[in-house]
Amino acid sequence: MRSFRVLATKELMNLLRDRKLVFGLVVIPLVLFPLLGQFTSMGLSSAQGVTKVAVVNMDSGSYGGLLVKTLNASPNVSLTLISAGSVEKAIEKARDMGQNVLVVIPPDFSKRLSSSETASVQVYGIFTRVGAGMKESVSEGRINSVIQLLNREIAMIKLKELGINNPKALVEPVNATSYSVVKGRIVKVPPSAVAAALSSQAFSVPLIIFIMITLTAQMAAGSMAAEKENKTLETLLTLPVSRTTIVASKVFGTAVMGLIAALAYMIGMKYYMGALSMKTNVSLSSIGLGISPAGMVLLAIVIFLAVVFSLSLAMLIAVFAEDVQTASTLVSAVVLPLAFPSFILMYTSIYSLPACIRWLLLAIPFTHPIVDYRKLLMGNYSFVILSVLYLTLIALVTLYVTARVFSTERVLTAQINWGRKRWDD
Amino acid sequence: MGEKAVEVVELRKDYGKRAALRGISFNVRKGEVFGVIGPNGAGKSTTLKILATLLKPTSGEARVFGMDVVDNASRVRRVISYLPEEAGAYKNLKGIEYLRFMAKLYAGDDEKAEDMVKRGIEISGLGERLNDKVATYSKGMTRKLLLARALMVMPKLAILDEPASGLDVVNAYEIRKIIKDFSRKGVTFIVSSHNMLEVEFLCDRVVLMNAGSIVDSGTPHDLMAKYEADNLEEVFMRATCAGTDADTMQMRLSGCEHEEL
Ligand SMILES: Nc1ncnc2c1ncn2[C@@H]1O[C@H](COP(=O)(O)OP(=O)(O)OP(=O)(O)O)[C@@H](O)[C@H]1O
Ligand SMILES: [Mg+2]
Repeated sequence: MRSFRVLATKELMNLLRDRKLVFGLVVIPLVLFPLLGQFTSMGLSSAQGVTKVAVVNMDSGSYGGLLVKTLNASPNVSLTLISAGSVEKAIEKARDMGQNVLVVIPPDFSKRLSSSETASVQVYGIFTRVGAGMKESVSEGRINSVIQLLNREIAMIKLKELGINNPKALVEPVNATSYSVVKGRIVKVPPSAVAAALSSQAFSVPLIIFIMITLTAQMAAGSMAAEKENKTLETLLTLPVSRTTIVASKVFGTAVMGLIAALAYMIGMKYYMGALSMKTNVSLSSIGLGISPAGMVLLAIVIFLAVVFSLSLAMLIAVFAEDVQTASTLVSAVVLPLAFPSFILMYTSIYSLPACIRWLLLAIPFTHPIVDYRKLLMGNYSFVILSVLYLTLIALVTLYVTARVFSTERVLTAQINWGRKRWDD
Repeated sequence: MGEKAVEVVELRKDYGKRAALRGISFNVRKGEVFGVIGPNGAGKSTTLKILATLLKPTSGEARVFGMDVVDNASRVRRVISYLPEEAGAYKNLKGIEYLRFMAKLYAGDDEKAEDMVKRGIEISGLGERLNDKVATYSKGMTRKLLLARALMVMPKLAILDEPASGLDVVNAYEIRKIIKDFSRKGVTFIVSSHNMLEVEFLCDRVVLMNAGSIVDSGTPHDLMAKYEADNLEEVFMRATCAGTDADTMQMRLSGCEHEEL
């Protein structure tokens, strides 16, 4: 136990003092993610700010004035009335004034409406800079809703003129209220909100698991290969410490570092998402999709087992590599294809896939945390327990094989070198 | 004296199809400094690695203080200390941290560990530089740090593969003195070397190896007498090129395979 503690401490110290590693694992997610979110949200919030709308009213009738009044009263719109003889002139003026949108009310607007014909207005979005164009599209959406409102108002006025008592029932004869059914229970939340809440989870959970697995695998392989590259392995193997202790201390040290990285990524991710205001105002637990404490424990076990599998697999591979670069290439070549299906699961459910592909995906340990997470949301425990059994088996087998290979002299004699050319021989 | 620290019997080692050791036998007595000498590729490092429990012999036996290096590997590791031919220390650690880390693995408690570290500091002769990261050390400084960690634990058997390689004359001399010193304190040494002067000064007995076999063995003095040589270098040339003076000259001219020595 003492030697395990001493070795694990050294392992952690060595990892924590690696500037490149700490930068990639902690600094990037904690600084870059929130920054990225901030920039994106700045774009979004300016789009949500006040839209500067210029209006040219060429109509002399009463409906044109009514439209201007309704526009003026609608939120987030600052209205400027400009006068111009032609559309071209109006556009030029609006552009000079830095307006985002120009609405042109044609001269025959009131006349057509009065004679029960369809009237039209023209809406111009004005792009002055090359950007994502969010501002303009959002503004157009707002103008459209203003026009819709206007359509209703005008329709109701005209219906009243025709002597209809309850014009609203004619303009809006059907009124839909939407609910969702979650786990057989009716919740008073529109399906679109539930879908949004689910899809933000569907995206972030696989991503974090993918990052964790590939990162820890790289770290474990790196720490093993570094022992070879820096010629510390031979000394390490003659110390009065069992080989199992050496492997275990490396697994532990890397797992702790992985935990720190996972935390950093989760916090960074949260800020990123938060800044993007992707919060749907609907928390999964409020609609009965929360995970129970027992479910949390199960999920933690599943993730832990998947990480142990990935760490021991990476170390097993690193045994055959001569230097860090080769180890990193070899581990990527093996772990990335295994971890890749988690990206498929971002966009699709495992049950929408053909049976043979589904079983193939389930054979890969890395798919389990993602599938299990969804099962736990739906309260399906039996599947998760089977998955824990499968992962335990496969993690133990890999760990055993790694410890066995590590106890042979292969760890010293097997050498694959891809990264660099050797000067001698 | 007299008790066997190391017993090697008919030891063979093949790397794949290539034979590195072809059945060698020798003994090291307790308390002596034992030298393994021979040209490049003779099998010196292979022999020492087997004794250090890093490699498994293809056949034959090797015992350290009566314990088999294969069957009793973990017990052997508790009494030995091995300095590899090419070795480094953890670059992100400071020299002193490296010594402390190693001491804690050998010592049962922190007090004993601190004693070891004190000894290590003295052996290394690195002084203030021990507070710098190993990454900033020169080759010779790293070598001294590694030697310090090998000896500070006071092993029963120290296995040193070319201890002075890469060191300058002054440092090499110092290291020989340290080895002599620890030998007097009761540490048994098995040392491989290319440097014949070093071997002559340091070793009580030597084996001469060539191409995986032992050519001859004895005290440096006896060997010089036997081969009618003035120094071990000549012994080495005559023994490894296997012949009389005239033969040796002849073979040397025709490119006896180890001309660089
Ligand atoms: N890992 C290995 N794989 C294959 N062959 C090896 C390996 N290590 C050593 N050998 C071979 O075994 C033989 C003995 O090598 P060894 O390293 O024991 O020689 P040495 O006496 O220490 O040489 P040097 O003086 O150059 O250090 C050589 O022929 C070498 O090529
Ligand atoms: Mg050697």
